[in-house]
Amino acid sequence: MEKIIKSRVIKYGDNVNTDVIFPGRYTYALMEPEEMAKHAMEDLDPDFQNKVKERHIIVAGKNFGMGSSREQAVSSLVYAGVKAVIAKSFARIYFRNAINNGLLVIEHKEAAEFIEDNDEVEIDTEKNEIRVKGKVFTFPPLPQEVLKIVEAGGLINYVKAKLEKEA
Amino acid sequence: MGKTIVEKILSEHTKDEVKPGNVIWLDIDVRSARDFGGPNVVKHYREHYDSEPVDNPQKTFFTFDLVAPAKTIKYAINQSICRKFAKEQGIKVYDVGSGIGTHVLMEEGHIIPGKTAVGTDSHYNIVGAIGAFGQGMGDVDITFVFKTGRTWFEVPKTVKIKLKGTFEYPTTAKDLTLYILKHIKTDFALGRAIEFYGEAAESLPLYGRITLLSMVTEMGGIIGYVPFTEKTVEEVKAFTGRSDFSPTYADPDAEYEKEIEIDVSGLGSQVAAPPHPHNVYDAQDLKDVKVDMIYIGSCTNGREEDIESAWKILKGKKIKDGVVLSITPATRRAYKKLMDKGILQELFEMGAIITNPSCAGCAQGHPGMTGEGEVSLNTSNRNFPGKQGKGETYLVSPEVAAASAITGRITDPREVL
Repeated sequence: MEKIIKSRVIKYGDNVNTDVIFPGRYTYALMEPEEMAKHAMEDLDPDFQNKVKERHIIVAGKNFGMGSSREQAVSSLVYAGVKAVIAKSFARIYFRNAINNGLLVIEHKEAAEFIEDNDEVEIDTEKNEIRVKGKVFTFPPLPQEVLKIVEAGGLINYVKAKLEKEA
Repeated sequence: MGKTIVEKILSEHTKDEVKPGNVIWLDIDVRSARDFGGPNVVKHYREHYDSEPVDNPQKTFFTFDLVAPAKTIKYAINQSICRKFAKEQGIKVYDVGSGIGTHVLMEEGHIIPGKTAVGTDSHYNIVGAIGAFGQGMGDVDITFVFKTGRTWFEVPKTVKIKLKGTFEYPTTAKDLTLYILKHIKTDFALGRAIEFYGEAAESLPLYGRITLLSMVTEMGGIIGYVPFTEKTVEEVKAFTGRSDFSPTYADPDAEYEKEIEIDVSGLGSQVAAPPHPHNVYDAQDLKDVKVDMIYIGSCTNGREEDIESAWKILKGKKIKDGVVLSITPATRRAYKKLMDKGILQELFEMGAIITNPSCAGCAQGHPGMTGEGEVSLNTSNRNFPGKQGKGETYLVSPEVAAASAITGRITDPREVL
């Protein structure tokens, strides 16, 4: 994970669901990453592909990622160039999928409210800080065991490393 | 300190301390993948574990319930990828035609009360209806469980929903579920386990519990439980064919994060309008909405009792010209029961389409998609834009679906009874 993620943001509202993040009609076609990236967010924001060229942080409202368990709703954003999502809250399946796929997800009500579309935001993953327009928000670190999974680059890698160490 | 239902079930499956907020390593009794997630699970598995054996083939399943049978070559290839892997590994496939995976795994007695189960289906928490713990997960998670039989899980806080009062047919579990959603939306229970109390919940038959607890996902919740009654115990025995279980109840001093009381006295029929399941109105307030397609089925309302209830309303009436009514029993067993009672034949003669057991018109599988400007009523659980086509989807009970099939507009069943 990058220590500092700095970018202008794309802002969305509450309840952004997995069907608009990655439409069901493309789900499980075993697509190539570039192809998946092209369809990310297409039912929510037709201009997403232009925006994401220069803006790599999404800020959203409540319950981001509600809906199905499809992992493409995480990986399509990653392939499109999204580095982090800051939301008031996340759907739990989405949160796990993000962790398992190395997408930084930060739950922060005040920051998600304060940040406006197109604001320049800096996320410091070492100090656990979000810096924006002269304001600093700190976010709690992930639980220890979960942090280890993220740092190892996902669940499978983490346990592989752990087993090798124990062997 | 006492424990809630979810805390008790998790405690039986981990060495770690079960306390809300703790991340524990959880032993998983049953793991499955569907025809959507399955091919990616196989892909990840081969990439990371090559041809090493899965943790336990007896506890591992494929359930093909989405695009069943395959409608395109692409989907056929995906299913064949899973079948080939299953054969190599000695894993049982409940193939196209078996029905909805979670329902089949309960019916076949693989998932029973007190057990833990995970799969690539966001409504896997439906198994809360039989007092098991279930959770939908992504492909990487399920790959990992296939190999290790375990996963990590953050113990959720538990919230309590107390229902006050009772209601009468043709108001059913779906109306109750939508009404609860209208009240709590996705905030109250986000990331929480829910326990439902009160006569309106506890008197629900098993198929009604399936409806309510399948939509805990739409409430943002992890899993939901309604305490078993004696009747539930008997129903679950008959449903799973197993009697080697005892129901789990919360301790009297269990700790709940918060509780809410919802008055459901005399509740009428409810409808969720687009674009969210919690955008809920009284059916009577939507009576001017004309309907093109009606779909009865899904994990939420696809049991034989749901379809029988719709049939009772339709009996002796006609389906309105221009309305397409599709019916999909959840499983082969549900289908067989309806066939033996002659209900499917009567529905067929009325002009309804009866499809093979599957998730059918819920995801963008097949059939039952809408074109632009069309309106569909669906007894499933999600009405997000694009989920069932270009048109608009309203979520309803089987009873409202049947009544609306007669009139061609959204109809409170009381109007046609």
